[in-house]
Amino acid sequence: MNHNNQQSSDGRHDDDAALTEFLASLMDYTPTIPDELVEHYLAKSGFHCPDVRLTRLVAVATQKFVAEVASDALQQCKARQSAVVKDKRDKQQKDKRLILTMEDLSKALRESGVNVKHQEYFADSPSTGIDPASREE
Amino acid sequence: MNDGGAEIGNKHEHPNTKRKFGGDDFAQAIAKIAVAQICERVGFQTFQQSALGTLSDIAVQYIHHIGKTANFYANLAGRTKGNAFDILQGLEDLGPAQGFAGASDIDHCLASSGVVREIIKYVNEAQDSPFAYSIPCFPVVKEQNPTPSFFQIGEEPPDEHIPAWLPAFPDPQTYIQFPTENERAPDTHMKKNEPAKQQRKVERSLLNMQQRFACNGQEGPSSVNHGDISKEKFSAESNPFLSAPLHFKEKEVSSMVRPAKLSKEVTVKHPAADARAVSNHISVVETFAPAIEAMKNKLYDSEEEQTKVLLNQRPAVQFKIGVGKNRLGKPIQLDPLNQDCNKIAPWFGKDDEKDEKRRRAEKILKYSTENTQELAQM
Repeated sequence: MNHNNQQSSDGRHDDDAALTEFLASLMDYTPTIPDELVEHYLAKSGFHCPDVRLTRLVAVATQKFVAEVASDALQQCKARQSAVVKDKRDKQQKDKRLILTMEDLSKALRESGVNVKHQEYFADSPSTGIDPASREE
Repeated sequence: MNDGGAEIGNKHEHPNTKRKFGGDDFAQAIAKIAVAQICERVGFQTFQQSALGTLSDIAVQYIHHIGKTANFYANLAGRTKGNAFDILQGLEDLGPAQGFAGASDIDHCLASSGVVREIIKYVNEAQDSPFAYSIPCFPVVKEQNPTPSFFQIGEEPPDEHIPAWLPAFPDPQTYIQFPTENERAPDTHMKKNEPAKQQRKVERSLLNMQQRFACNGQEGPSSVNHGDISKEKFSAESNPFLSAPLHFKEKEVSSMVRPAKLSKEVTVKHPAADARAVSNHISVVETFAPAIEAMKNKLYDSEEEQTKVLLNQRPAVQFKIGVGKNRLGKPIQLDPLNQDCNKIAPWFGKDDEKDEKRRRAEKILKYSTENTQELAQM
């Protein structure tokens, strides 16, 4: 897959070196998503490679994706909370907690091309994340 | 569905999901924990269980998709094993939703792709946060011991058409059916059914009592109804259909012995009536049944047996209506019954009428003969 080795041999060498260095650095880096999990799902999808670095590469890519979605959702959550706090100051204490909700997640995922419909009827109550003692039934 | 805000600690204990997802629940639970860790790192404190499940599902799908595209590109290049470039190509394919730097350049080297640069940047920035638990190698493939063939055991197959390399039959006692099992099964069945049967008995006796009660209660008003049809208001409280057998009793037709066959019919009819009373449904055919019966009887003329049939079958129908409280059916049925009564009444008086006519005819004849004599005299 060397498309442009004639055009910029120096640049290519730099990129290759960077890539090999990166892949080598992955040996020391342990992604949050465990290797076993990634290997399991890669094997399920038909991809077969014994190299741990490639597994780690996929793990890192997935971790990056999840982290991006999560941070998007966090921004959504914060924006929503700031809007809510203006309306109801008495509920500030409850709203302080950062909760990953389907509402925020579906908004964040829409940006990355995943269309998630929020299950409005049964999935989760709005009091999620609050201590069971403080929940009013 | 539970919202798992407060149960982060025991989130990988899902006894129900184990049955649902089969062997993949372990991997999914691990994915959930990993995603939860990433979310915690991003800044979330808690999460909805459904949101975490969705995000972990999507992460798993992401891995799956990368693997699929990487495998596709490896196969496209004529390899069975994938390499880093296949994965990078797969990542680039997944990229377009968000876009990445240098995506517009078609002829770029994969090694210098924006995707790679972004990942390198992410790895450099992100802290090393290994997975919270140590995971055993999974999926554990259980070593299966295939059943030894006839050849391995050293036995001869029981029949000629079974080749020796096929697995041997299990011991005969494992598949021979014992007679004790057959006896047991109905016993347990009976035991299960017994309470229900008893309940049904009690219900039936209650309904019978109600029926008797209703019959007794209707006697007074029904006689009034018999006297005057115009008093329908009064008869609305009491069921007028109950009066029907009373007519026959009054007419002294009811003194009879029920034939065995007919009494059977009645006993058969009662459960049916019970069922009807429960469902409160009375079909049109059923409501008109007595009327039709009566019509038939008329056609057969008033023979004793036919009236017996009518009498025997009526109580079941009346009871049904009394419990079902089908007010609508009443006026419809009233007419044929009353007509029936009115028509039956003349049957008994007809003889007298005929006698009268005959007497009159005889009188006239006598008179005429006398007159002729008189005329002749004149």
